Amino acid sequence: MDETELIRAAQAGDERAFEELVRMHDQAVLRLAMNLLRSPEDANDVYQEAFLRVFRNLNSFRFDCSFHTWLYRIVTNLCMDALRRKKVRHEQKRPAAEDGAISDRIERVEEDRVHGDPQRALLSAELRERIGKALGELTPRERMVFELRHYQGMRLRAIGEVLGASEEAAKNCLFRATQKMRASLGDFV
Amino acid sequence: MTCDEVRLRLSLHVYGELSFNEEEAVETHLAGCEACRVALERTRLMHEAWDEMEAAPAPTMLASSRRELMARVAVARESKGWATRLAERLGLKWKLVSPIWQPLGAMALLVAGYLGARVGPLAPGRPDEASLAAPLASRVRYVEPETAGRVRVVVEEARQRVLTGRPDDEAIRRLLMAAARDPGDPGLRAESVNLLRGQLDSEDVRATLLYEVQHDPNAGVRLAALEGLKQFAGDPQMRRVLTQVLLSDRNPGVRSEVIDVLVEKRSDDVVGTLQELMHGEENQDVRDRCERVLASWKASAGTF
Ligand SMILES: [Zn+2]
Repeated sequence: MDETELIRAAQAGDERAFEELVRMHDQAVLRLAMNLLRSPEDANDVYQEAFLRVFRNLNSFRFDCSFHTWLYRIVTNLCMDALRRKKVRHEQKRPAAEDGAISDRIERVEEDRVHGDPQRALLSAELRERIGKALGELTPRERMVFELRHYQGMRLRAIGEVLGASEEAAKNCLFRATQKMRASLGDFV
Repeated sequence: MTCDEVRLRLSLHVYGELSFNEEEAVETHLAGCEACRVALERTRLMHEAWDEMEAAPAPTMLASSRRELMARVAVARESKGWATRLAERLGLKWKLVSPIWQPLGAMALLVAGYLGARVGPLAPGRPDEASLAAPLASRVRYVEPETAGRVRVVVEEARQRVLTGRPDDEAIRRLLMAAARDPGDPGLRAESVNLLRGQLDSEDVRATLLYEVQHDPNAGVRLAALEGLKQFAGDPQMRRVLTQVLLSDRNPGVRSEVIDVLVEKRSDDVVGTLQELMHGEENQDVRDRCERVLASWKASAGTF
């Protein structure tokens, strides 16, 4: 069955078809949520809620856009809500545990790199910290456009379609995001 | 193009997202400018550094997320049929009910018990204690694998007591207010809130709904509470609370509803609040709604 047939079968209540449809897309969704939210719990929450919404609303999918676009509208909305909540939480608890998670991750990465040149590893740790901080300081919308273009490899036209924006608006957003990311690296680049 | 103009476009050039004309100008400049070619190489390195920041899910995560999802879908499949029938029988607004009935399963019986307060025979005076022979409500508390392929399931069973009466009976109302804060069951909370809507002359009931609209973790319950509080949209204290909700609620559906309630009465406060909201609002529907209201009031959409 191709995707269209799967969707029609799932709409008619075929459980296997629904599961198959999920399997075609869910790895990418989990990867997206995990990279954006950097927490397995939050990523799983988005995964569950997104596909439950797909399940509940599949009958209203009318093939006006691709299924991928429709699914990503749901997923990106959920992720941006979660990012916004995270931002609020982060701002509330600042500065006590600022970027603690990122530092921990860096330490773990450094432990793995026992063979590396220590000077280079040190530089890379600071780089990582700066990049992580800059990613966290993008607005949810900038973060999302950056995610979809840089990490998911989507074209700006498709990103605009998912986020309900013009290609030009998505381009401006990506421009702002990359400028901020670049500025955070200062004399490193 | 100058060097500065080229540098600004290097990332978009790497992504291949420049317009045809921009791409031409950048390529021409790069061909004749060594310094910008070096800058392009550094941009590529920077993009590679970004690549390395990717946080991938653990290898086992996908399988466990799938298992959880399929279990939840199976529950939703079953309760969907049941909840649809019940909602039709009660003439409930399906739009409001549908998102919150999903995880009910065994708890459905308990909810039906409370619904009895509305659909059952309405005895005058004190609430009626009836039908001690009511069915057992059971709920799976705990499951674990045992040896030899067996599974242990701990089921909690309770004999139900059914109370019927009008929502304005003190005892019924107290039960409904307690149920409206039941932490385990959003479906129960939502229906209790719905039933309390007719009792808003009681200060306790108003406080319960105000609490729910601000603090309930489930958006469906917050919407139900909001629906009840609509009639107080003119009250200054209520407007302050709703303004807070508008600026802080994480669900765009709730934010949209709050806008509808607040804009029934125009005031400069609302204009300011909507402009503030527009600054950070990410949801296109909510933005559109704000923009429409502000435009119809001939107010600017804010500072951008
Ligand atoms: Zn140059």
